[in-house]
Amino acid sequence: MIELKDVSYVRLGTPDMASAESFATSCLGLQVAERGKKALYLRSDDRQHTLCYTEGDPSNQTVGFEVEDEDCLQQAAATLERLGHCVQGGSADDAARRKVRAFIAFEDPSGNHIELVVRPERSGRRFFASRDAGITGFSHIGLNSTDPARDEKFWTEVCNARVSDRIGDIPLMRVNAIHHTIALVRAPHAGIQHVNHQVQTSDDVLRSFYFLSERRVPIVFGPGRHPTSGARFLYFKGPDGMVFEYSVGVNEIEDEATHRPRQFGFEPTSFCMWGSKPAGMALPNDQ
Amino acid sequence: MKPDSHPLVVSVCYIRLSARELQASARFAADIFGLQRVAEQNGEIAFRSDNRFRTVSFSNGASGGSSIGIEVWDEPALDEIEKRLNKSGFASSRASASDCERRYVQAALLAKDGSGNSVDLVARPTQSGRRYFPSRDAGITQLHGVGMQSTDLERDLQFWKELGAEVSDWVGDIAYLRIDRLHHRIALYPAKQRGLLYAAFEVETLDNIMQNSYFMQERQIKIVQGPGRQPCSKQIFLHVEGPDGIIFSYVNGMSEMGPGHRPARQFPLVLESLCEWGSEAKDVPELSAGVS
Repeated sequence: MIELKDVSYVRLGTPDMASAESFATSCLGLQVAERGKKALYLRSDDRQHTLCYTEGDPSNQTVGFEVEDEDCLQQAAATLERLGHCVQGGSADDAARRKVRAFIAFEDPSGNHIELVVRPERSGRRFFASRDAGITGFSHIGLNSTDPARDEKFWTEVCNARVSDRIGDIPLMRVNAIHHTIALVRAPHAGIQHVNHQVQTSDDVLRSFYFLSERRVPIVFGPGRHPTSGARFLYFKGPDGMVFEYSVGVNEIEDEATHRPRQFGFEPTSFCMWGSKPAGMALPNDQ
Repeated sequence: MKPDSHPLVVSVCYIRLSARELQASARFAADIFGLQRVAEQNGEIAFRSDNRFRTVSFSNGASGGSSIGIEVWDEPALDEIEKRLNKSGFASSRASASDCERRYVQAALLAKDGSGNSVDLVARPTQSGRRYFPSRDAGITQLHGVGMQSTDLERDLQFWKELGAEVSDWVGDIAYLRIDRLHHRIALYPAKQRGLLYAAFEVETLDNIMQNSYFMQERQIKIVQGPGRQPCSKQIFLHVEGPDGIIFSYVNGMSEMGPGHRPARQFPLVLESLCEWGSEAKDVPELSAGVS
């Protein structure tokens, strides 16, 4: 069993580094940690970085998960290879570029680029946002799946993910006490469907709604509230069509032993209990 | 008000509105805003928002105009208020039996503030034995307060001070008046004409504010401002356009003032003093920092 501790970072390719930096700082509200020739490292919490833009094709989308130590990493590589995944060991250079001690790369059954990392760097200085969006940290991702039932098995049986709730056949999965770290989304191809950052209060969600609307950033869903996790949310579109989410108030699963996933119907009120409707953003597709 | 005595006035207990189109107004109150329609009497349609017998009524104009009801502590408080208002030169008269019946109160002093707004000071407004059961799940828990348009702020302030109200904060010359532990129940807005600007109804949670916001959007009901949060009182609000230009508001989470007194704070008359989230009022100068 591959023991995922937490989601660590997202790496996104972009043909336009300047636009990506401008959006990340003046709209999203992250902090520039390091600006390389072909990479931009952005902070959202006490980690050295949680989002990295690299110069290249926007379809290059990778998510990194932290595992305990290098032994665990080697065992994970063996497990994945036994299951027929092509596992690439990260070179020292590549590890340095990710600010981690060691890592391996593979594809999940849908073809998503996944990396498992050991000892991702923390920063000694606290996170200091570029705008007052109230961000407290990078928290979860929506991950495309060409077959949610198959991918649920991968994440829950090969890895340690547990299903917290389901909407239709779409699982919201946790790897720690937080309601979900991976939300699968039915889609025709692999990719990251959204990148979530937590904010301090529901005031921040509403403030950002007006702030981003004024700047003509496309709001694609919300302000709303998920009945599953309880989170108040706002989804909006960034560079290269990537959807970012702010949310606050994600429930924690208090009793790991007795929690049973709840089944929600595949309908709008299962995604937003306030009545907001997605616009310009695909909902996890039931079929 | 002496610290060991009770206050003269205790709550905003009703609003009476004359409606140009009675049935349309009634449909708005029940089907859209989510109040409970209770009685039709003397050509008036009445609604509940809480455990009181009625808090909102619409009349066709023939049976008497608009007024807001302010509940006083008891009948002797009415006498005291009458004395104070007379001394300061505010017109007032005792309500007749039929005036009282129409207001569902035991006694009333019908007064006008400095702008000429009708303010009914009422004793023993009627409560209902049955719990409040609205027509839809808007989450309303009570009539919370009112915003009044003022053409003579100085005189209006004097009027409310005679009743024992105190200014909690200023935004420009907008005065937020408290009569109980909450930041304000009455707000005075400098305006070109007198009248009721809004009637505010408390809802249970932020969820209700947001649900009502989407409910209105879906039905293409005009949202005047919000969802927003008032910085001085921390109250979350959604201002919805009601019949005859009166705003009906959902509110939640107003801060309490606490036992210690502090001086009223002055905020500048700019948009962010009226909403800390960034919502703007459209077409209502009183709410958009547009009136000096």
